[in-house]
This record gives sequence, structure tokens and C-alpha cells, in this order.
Amino acid sequence: MDEELGELTENDFIIPPVKYEYLDHTADVQLHAWGDSLTEAFEQCGMAMFGYMTELPYVQIKQVHTIEASADDMMGLLYHFLDELLFLFSAEPYLICKKLKIIEFNTEEFRIVCKCYGEEFEIGKHPQGSEVKAITYSAMQIIDEPKDNKFEVFVIIDI
Amino acid sequence: MVVRQYNEELKYLEKINAHCWRIKKGFQPNMNVEGVFYVNNTLEKLMLDELRNSCRPGMTGGFLPGVKQIANVAALPGIVGRSVGLPDVHSGYGFAIGNMAAFDMSNPDSIVSPGGVGFDINCGVRLLRTNLHEKDVLPIKEQLTQSLFDHIPVGVGSKGIIPMNARDMEEALEMGMDWSLREGYVWAEDKEHCEEYGRMLNADPSKVSLRAKKRGLPQLGTLGAGNHYTEIQVVDEIYDKFAAGKMGLERLGQVCVMIHSGSRGFGHQVATDALVQMEKAMKRDQIDVNDRQLACARINSKEGQDYLKAMAAAANFAWVNRSSMTFLTRQAFAKQFKMAPDDLDMHVIYDVSHNIAKVEEHIVDGKLRTLLVHRKGSTRAFPPHHPLIPVDYQLTGQPVLIGGSMGTCSYVLTGTHQGMTETFGSTCHGAGRALSRAKSRRNIDYKEVLNKLETMGISIRVASPKLVMEEAPESYKNVTDVVNTCHAAGISKKTVKLRPIAVIKG
Repeated sequence: MDEELGELTENDFIIPPVKYEYLDHTADVQLHAWGDSLTEAFEQCGMAMFGYMTELPYVQIKQVHTIEASADDMMGLLYHFLDELLFLFSAEPYLICKKLKIIEFNTEEFRIVCKCYGEEFEIGKHPQGSEVKAITYSAMQIIDEPKDNKFEVFVIIDI
Repeated sequence: MVVRQYNEELKYLEKINAHCWRIKKGFQPNMNVEGVFYVNNTLEKLMLDELRNSCRPGMTGGFLPGVKQIANVAALPGIVGRSVGLPDVHSGYGFAIGNMAAFDMSNPDSIVSPGGVGFDINCGVRLLRTNLHEKDVLPIKEQLTQSLFDHIPVGVGSKGIIPMNARDMEEALEMGMDWSLREGYVWAEDKEHCEEYGRMLNADPSKVSLRAKKRGLPQLGTLGAGNHYTEIQVVDEIYDKFAAGKMGLERLGQVCVMIHSGSRGFGHQVATDALVQMEKAMKRDQIDVNDRQLACARINSKEGQDYLKAMAAAANFAWVNRSSMTFLTRQAFAKQFKMAPDDLDMHVIYDVSHNIAKVEEHIVDGKLRTLLVHRKGSTRAFPPHHPLIPVDYQLTGQPVLIGGSMGTCSYVLTGTHQGMTETFGSTCHGAGRALSRAKSRRNIDYKEVLNKLETMGISIRVASPKLVMEEAPESYKNVTDVVNTCHAAGISKKTVKLRPIAVIKG
């Protein structure tokens, strides 16, 4: 997890459009994210999770951290990707992310390297949303259909 | 999952009496024992509606209906007696929330399942009493509420204020409330009124990942978000004068404080880690379950033992957490009333765990057996004279603390002998959700909820505005229905009803 303070370029401040929504679920919430590629759908899913913890317009980009996730299959990869992001928020550096940029997306070895842009969560500055307890595999779906240009993910997070 | 028409499904369910339904074998595949659930007419409708909805074609929700989950638990290896659904049952991760199941420790096939404990290990409720009357609090209620809110860190991203480094944390994980006592945060007698005396002896911090410890450290002594709360409550009704008296609740209007919280990110991470390990163990040991979410391991396997030791550490974390907030609560009261917590008689009445697995002895088919009892959204409710309950409650039965939802009443019950034989000494834990969070936010108006609380005379401080809708009483089953069902079914007995006058939430 290397910090790259001061190395932010102008491009890093461009905020991607919102391509996610929150779906109904009795005790929890289901994240539904999509994009023009599976990479984008994953990034959006991560941002959806942060968007549930606070209101992202209040978050400024002040720091970049890089996370890595790996797994044995695609679902595992999505799970561990989100789990790494949750950990980034829950312990040092307590990062709340406004933007995620996956720089390596290896679908054969199931590995992700992602740059996470945001700042340290601060009560008073960032509205407190819901606390995410854990990522779950329940009803997880990854739709990867390049011929229809359809890339979507569904994840239930335990809150 | 077996797909059948709703009418076909109903053939597997049989109403035994006014408050109890039987789930017959065959409702789900490979059921080793039958299932059972407790409901009254209102709750019965909610339960069956959930099943009916899942029978509609094209339903691909995240969770199975609660009644199906109870039946899937009945299919787990080593289960004895029945898989029990309490009146507040609703669908959860693997196990239903409001589900208890016991597994025979002497059967080598028996399993332990993190899904049967829940992500929030040792989530529980603690009740403190005071010698104050409602009329003593009313003039300074807003200040007191604000002071509690200022003292207790709440909501997402909040950090504990009890000084703590990594080494303190290791000790706290091992010692539970003994740590809090040594550090001066609690009174010696607090421990007496706590399940397990606030310390699980088999806790082993070395079985806990660094990740869990890192998540836990900043959050020790924080309330959390979601359905967790601290409430100032007053005694509204006394049903059992003798039992209430033993708890030091002697008059209407007497002020109490209820704390509902768990093991925070620490416990969530312990559960997450265990689920990953157990998926592997299941493949290796060829354990077949009906639902992937029921990840489990044999009790005697390395994964099973490691989980139980890590779970115990998380349980200790939760007790230290509730103890730290007890300390902060006492401080807030002491400052407002300019009296020592001692003089305010702020004793712990009891502290219950409603997400936990414990080794207990029970009579099964006339024989004494050692069981691993999973209670997820279910509270232990031991009867009078049980050796594991404190001396003070030997004649009344164990106090059972049932937290309501925001703005509704809470209850104190006691354990019964009937509960001991029917449900392995277990009862309900709270209201149980009825509406999804998203639905609550869409259908319930923020201002309306706040106005309603104000007319009821309830002060409120909430960190997250959307929680106001999500946690509105309309989102939950009626806790009175839930408690009355437990009382009528005889699995626990009503003692006291508490009414909130101030709520602090994440």
C-alpha cells in the first residue's frame, strides 16, 4: 500500500460518471454496478460501496493509495477487491474513496491492482452514512458479455 | 433449492398450537431433524408471505425465506433436537436471524458455522439501572442526551476514545471484562451480571488475523451504526414484581440505560476470515450443505477449533466494548447530575449475547449431552436454579434483555423451564426487520419520523440521517408481538416493559 502524495496529476481529479444503484434487500443492501468493461463495472461497484458510507460529493481527492487483490476465481476476485477497499477505510489510512482506477485487471490469474483516490474520513466533514460490516457472496452475479457490451456486477453487502 | 408451488410447500408446515408451527422433514433436502417456529397471528402472516413471495416465478433474491433457512439448518450434520425459529425470525446470511440450533459435541460429524453466529459476534444488550425517576431526568433530558452523544463515539468512521495500543488489545481479547476491570473501566460486580462473566476462557488472540486486529483497534469503545443504540429508558410496566425487584427495578418511571452493540469491525473480520477458511475445509471433508452460505467445519477440525477460539476473542472484544460504553455512560450521567455513578446506583442489571455459539449441557432424549449451541439473533434464557446464572437471579431465572426498535418499547424477560426443554433455553432477541432498508427510505418520511418521536417525548441524536428512516419502527416487526409470543408460548416470561425517552444512534 504505497502512498503517492503529491503525485496527483490533473487527470486524477476527473470524477467518473455514476454507473451504480442500490437495490432492495431485507436486512442489507445490494450493489448493482455496470460499465463499458468489466474493469469499469468493478470500479463502479467499489465506488458504490463508498457512496453508501458517506455522500461522495463531500469527499476531496487528497491522497492516492494502491491496493492489490487476488483470488481463485472471478467471484472471489470481486469479493477480495471489495474487502481490500473496506479494509482501507476501516484501518490506517481510513481512506474514503471518491474515485477508483484499476490499473491491472488480470482475469487469468485473477489479480487486481487498483489506485484509490480520496482522503481520510473525518467526522464533521463527511456525512456519516451506513457502516458496511462485510462483503458477502450471497446472490453475487458477474455479467461479462462483451458481444452485447454488457458488463454488470451484483453484490450484497452486510450492513 | 426445491421449487414447489406455495400450496405444496404448505403441506410441509403444520400448526401445532396457537403459537407454534412444525416444519416437517422433506421441506428441504436431507433434513436430519424437524424445524419449528414460534409466531402469533400477525407474525405468522409475515412469515408465510415471505415464503409465498419466494415461490413466485423468477424470484432470485439474495436470501432464502426464513422458514427455508430454518429447514436448511436442520439438514446440517450433527444437529440435535430441532432447528428453532424464534418469533422475530427473518432471513439472514445462511442461518435465519432469530434461529438457534444445537450440535452434539460427541458426534465427530458435528459442525460449527460462522453463519450460525453472524457477522457481529457477541452482539448483545446491556441494561444499567439508576435510582433516578423520570421526573429527575426530564428537566435536563436534552442536555443529558447530548452529553451521552458526545461521550459515546457513534456511527460509521468513528473512533474509540479509550486509550489503547496493540498490546492492550491482545490482553483485552484474552481477558474480556477482566481487562476492563483491571484498567478501572468497570466495577467488580458488573462481571457477575454478565453471561460467561464477561470472559470466554478459550479465547486465543493468536488465532485472529492481523487484519481483524487492525480493524478492531480504532473501533474499541464505539457504538457502531445500523440497529445499534444507547437509549435512556424508563420502567413503563412491571409484570413480575418479585423478579423485577431482584433486578433492582422497583417502581414505574425508574430510569435505565440500554446499550445495544457488538464486536464492531473486529468481529466482522473474524467471521469473514472464518468463512473463507471453511469453504476450503468443506471441500476437503466433503461436508454437503443445502446452501453455500452455510459454510461450516467439523467442530473437531483445525478450522472449527480455530474459529471457536477466534470467536471467543471477538466475544471478549464485544464485552470490553460494551464495558467501555458503560464507563462513558456512567461518566455522562455523573457529570449531568453531579453525583458519583455509585450514588446513582448505576449497576449492570444484566448483559446478554444474541449472536454467539456456546458449549452447554442439555437433556436430549432423556440423556445429558454436551452441545454446541448456536444462537443467531436469539438470546439465552436459562431457567431458575440453573448453575450458570448469577446468585442474584437463581430464583427468578436469567434476565433476558429484548431491545425494541427506535421509538418502541424494550422488554426484560426471564428464562423458563419450558424454554429449557423446548428451545435449549433460548428465546427471541428483538423486533426483527420487516421492510428492507431501501424500501424504508423510499416510503418513510424523515420529518414525519422525527415529529412522531417528538410527540412521544423521545429525544434523539443520530449520526446518519438516513438511519432515521431505515430504523423507523415501521421498518420492524412489532416487538410487543414478538415478546408476547415468547411469553404465551412459555419459552420466556415477561418481567418489565421499558419505554424510551432518549435515543442515541449511529
